[in-house]
Amino acid sequence: MKFSYNWICELVEGVQVSPKELGHLITMKTAECEAVEPFGEHLAKVCAARVVEAEPIPGTRNKKVLVNTGRYGLKTVVCGAPNCRPGMTSAYVPAGVALPGGEIRCLEISGVVSDGMLASGAELGVNRDAEGILELLAEPGEPIPGCRPDWVLEIDNKSITHRPDLWGHLGLAREVAAILRLPLRDPVRLDWLPEAAADLEIEILNDELCPRYSALTFEMVSVQSSPLWLAYRLETIGLNPINNIVDVTNYIMAELAQPMHAFDRDTLRGNTIFVRTAAPGEFLVALNGETYKLDPATVVIADARGPVAIGGVIGGLDTGIVAGTRRIVLESANFHASSIRKTSGRLKLRTDASMRFEKGQDPANTVRGLARAIELFQEISPGIRLSGGLADAKRELPPPPRIALELDWMERKLGREVAREQVVEILRALAFGVEEESPRRLLVSVPSWRATRDVSIKDDLVEEVGRMVGYDSITPQAPLIPSAPPPANELRTFHHAVREMLAAQGFTEVYNYSFVSEETARRFGFDPAEHVAVLNPIASDQGLLRKSLVPGIWKNLLDNSRHFDSFRLFEIGYEIHKRPGELPDEIDHLAAAVYEREGDGRPGLFELKRLAECLMPGCEVRPASARPFEHPARSWELRWRECALGRLFELHPTLAAGRAAVLDVDLRKMRELGPPPKRYQPLRRFPSSAFDLSVVAGLRDLAGDIEKRLVELAGENLESIRFLRQYSGPPLPEGKQSLTWRLSVFAADHTLTAEEVGAIRARLIDGLRAAGYDLRL
Amino acid sequence: MMEKELEALAARALERIEAAGSPEELEAVRIEVLGRKGALARFSKQLGTLAPEERARVGRILNSAKEQLERSFEARKEAFHRRALEQRLEAEWFDLTLPAPGPRPGSLHPVTQVQREIEEVFLSMGFTVLSGPEVETEYNNFDALNIPPDHPARDVQDTFWVEGGHLLRTHTSPVQVRGMERLGPPLRMIAPGRVFRNEEVDASHEHTFYQLEGMMVDREVSVAHLVYFMKQMLSAVFRREVSVRLRPGYFPFVEPGFELDIRCLICGGSGCAVCKYNGWLEQLGCGLVHPNVLRMSGIDPEEWMGFAFGLGLTRLVMMRYAIDDVRLFQSGDLRFLMQF
Ligand SMILES: [Zn+2]
Repeated sequence: MKFSYNWICELVEGVQVSPKELGHLITMKTAECEAVEPFGEHLAKVCAARVVEAEPIPGTRNKKVLVNTGRYGLKTVVCGAPNCRPGMTSAYVPAGVALPGGEIRCLEISGVVSDGMLASGAELGVNRDAEGILELLAEPGEPIPGCRPDWVLEIDNKSITHRPDLWGHLGLAREVAAILRLPLRDPVRLDWLPEAAADLEIEILNDELCPRYSALTFEMVSVQSSPLWLAYRLETIGLNPINNIVDVTNYIMAELAQPMHAFDRDTLRGNTIFVRTAAPGEFLVALNGETYKLDPATVVIADARGPVAIGGVIGGLDTGIVAGTRRIVLESANFHASSIRKTSGRLKLRTDASMRFEKGQDPANTVRGLARAIELFQEISPGIRLSGGLADAKRELPPPPRIALELDWMERKLGREVAREQVVEILRALAFGVEEESPRRLLVSVPSWRATRDVSIKDDLVEEVGRMVGYDSITPQAPLIPSAPPPANELRTFHHAVREMLAAQGFTEVYNYSFVSEETARRFGFDPAEHVAVLNPIASDQGLLRKSLVPGIWKNLLDNSRHFDSFRLFEIGYEIHKRPGELPDEIDHLAAAVYEREGDGRPGLFELKRLAECLMPGCEVRPASARPFEHPARSWELRWRECALGRLFELHPTLAAGRAAVLDVDLRKMRELGPPPKRYQPLRRFPSSAFDLSVVAGLRDLAGDIEKRLVELAGENLESIRFLRQYSGPPLPEGKQSLTWRLSVFAADHTLTAEEVGAIRARLIDGLRAAGYDLRL
Repeated sequence: MMEKELEALAARALERIEAAGSPEELEAVRIEVLGRKGALARFSKQLGTLAPEERARVGRILNSAKEQLERSFEARKEAFHRRALEQRLEAEWFDLTLPAPGPRPGSLHPVTQVQREIEEVFLSMGFTVLSGPEVETEYNNFDALNIPPDHPARDVQDTFWVEGGHLLRTHTSPVQVRGMERLGPPLRMIAPGRVFRNEEVDASHEHTFYQLEGMMVDREVSVAHLVYFMKQMLSAVFRREVSVRLRPGYFPFVEPGFELDIRCLICGGSGCAVCKYNGWLEQLGCGLVHPNVLRMSGIDPEEWMGFAFGLGLTRLVMMRYAIDDVRLFQSGDLRFLMQF
């Protein structure tokens, strides 16, 4: 939202601060001022000039013109404007001045050196008229009337969404007046409103959606260009001047935050304006040329025949102001904020009007806008006159309840003291009514333009006082609170510990999106229907929520394999699983991967197995049937403490060139199982004895199974067991391997004799043979 | 006579010990002289042929010669040992500038790192760290935070809606609601996490980013306390004293609400490109908890007060490391991630 510094200065008496300083003060006390930029700087050098002579240059449409510029003396310029003639007064731009379209230089045109130029309104950026040079009522050398250099203060729209009043200059001016402790000048004089009976009926059929609709009828209207001051002001704040009638409505909107709309009275059927919701099948061709289908949630302004405007959003084309318009109905209404917000969202049409109404405008403001319009029309449409009085339909709204403000409570909230007199002064400057009920308690009434949704409770008043005394006046202070350790967050501690371990072992942490595309889900053999679907994705890769971390890791593997031959990475993230009727189940998982472009892939899998053992001491892997994205012969289930916790596998070779080992663990289960209980075992007191055993087994017999069997057989005599080597080849038969372990056995109460050791060994051998294994002795 | 021979033998043996070129040679000398059948042993057998007084005298000489030879033998042996060890150690030199085998160190995501730092600061000040789900209810994300269905603030936060009427949380603020409902007052908590906005991605916009939410509810909580904690946090994050300023800011779940800026760390406030020449950098939104928010979580606003803040973690990390493209955080690109 753009604000004119000059305009604010007209509304606040005696502003002495510079535009930049004002921008800063507004930022600190009201709303964020994002930029303060000069506007129309060149107008300081442009002046009125009288055409003394204008002689056509043969063979061209240009004239060689001698002008009296007053300030700069007599100048010769070349001018091609059709309206250029001796005796007229226009605008002279000296050479060296930068206009919005570029810098003006001394140029030879049609054989004549033009020392500066005579300019049109469009060239000066004061209106959109490019037909001819400006025609002014001014003496040579004087500034262009109504077009002083200005500054634009740009206020961040997001910082005023809660302040309907700040969508007009008067609202911001009130803030400035309060900040600078200067008087505010209200431009509205309600005594302009006519006393006569209205010659237009208004019927509001839904006063929830339209609490108030006020209108005036004017006749003897002459539609023409706006005067320079008006067009220039609209240009300054980024609005497009159109014609005097429309410009006045826009001007009042920018001044009072009250959107208005003018209908051509002679195109309206009947004598009644209806405010109602649209009937099924109704549509409107709007001023922007678009046709809008209306639905029953949309508020329309209708005449006897049908909709003529979408209430609070846009007017209709058929009833708009045109050059020949003689009579107008000027609408100044109030609409329900969220209804406008929804309508404008539904129609994908945000207008200056809808933007204001959706903030919750003040119903009291409708007639203020009309009063202001009467005054302005007198000036910009000479001869205009009112036809009848004010038509004003409204729902009576009770005044907002007064707010009790305990000053002690307010000071506790702010963390500083504020003198009662200062509180009262601040609130009154912001137009709050203040009654001092007791020395430390005020009764505050809220001005109508702040009461729509912005201010309703005492906390809101804390803000009013706080921002005006200045938050920088509050000294930071540590609270006095009991000291106690905060409740632990085991999830967080656990995740951080896992992360630390992974990073220490050479893995780099990645973050992947929570989204997965349908295509990727399919590629991994997941059913898209089992995912939580996003209803309004922007891109196709956001269609589903991931229920596995592996597709993300897969993408990381592909991307990084373009830059590295070997790498390790991991992610801790949430699998999102659908649960009908409640929020999805979010399960924290760890996915880690080792990539090697070369090699047989075993080291990566073993590395991840070791990693799993660091996280889950004593965990084991069991063969598993491969999922579609897993190497069919290298897919293992990870088990710990009798529970399946995840997978350890090589990515299917069709998914990645090279070898990618992946570990995927359910951290929630791991956390729930917790670390195994620890119990001290007394240290061995008698020496142990060691011997080796070589077991002959089938090539796909699992070493883990044999080792488990050995441990069982050795029972309480086992001190330790260590795998030594695996061998296949002669003299072993084809299809056989030999696996060798070193076992160390002991007894708790004596040194084992050679016979006892032999007996244990024999027990192991017999047991293995019974299980179908052979031994190499 | 024997005495002379003995002296000559000892002198010769000493020479040979000194001259021995290897431990083996030395050992040969030892056996020859000091061994059981060595020269000295032969002498001691001859002692029996001497007269008793003479035997005692020569015996003493013999013993002293033996002792002397043994000492020099041991010394010489020790010297061999020492030299052998020195040679071995010297030969064991190798080039440790060669790369160590095994994987290079990994690293944690920069957001993880900064998040942990902030967590530690708040933990040390008695705040607990809470977590919440990525998929949230509309109630927790909006209604309970004083953002009813027709509130304009819902427009600002473009929301991903998912099936079942739920949404991807647009801020970490719903964890406030969960925290208040679970722990009740008094309460000090922070909640870091992943949030989502439905918008197009470019170098400065992401649909997935990270926030850190914080809240304190107690009997007496003022703006002065809020500023105190914010200063503590930001000074810890930037590892130096920072100047902060509060200005009005609008967030439906706080009243009054503030934008908190810090004095530009690059130019110190004189103005530079980073702070867009105004000397201040926007850091976070904060305020006193809106009474409606307390009430909706079952806390009586007449008895309890609170502050809340929300920090853009992603933005903070970008600022800390001068990262110019927000997309890198979710890229999984190790060339980026391994820098931290
Ligand atoms: Zn700076």
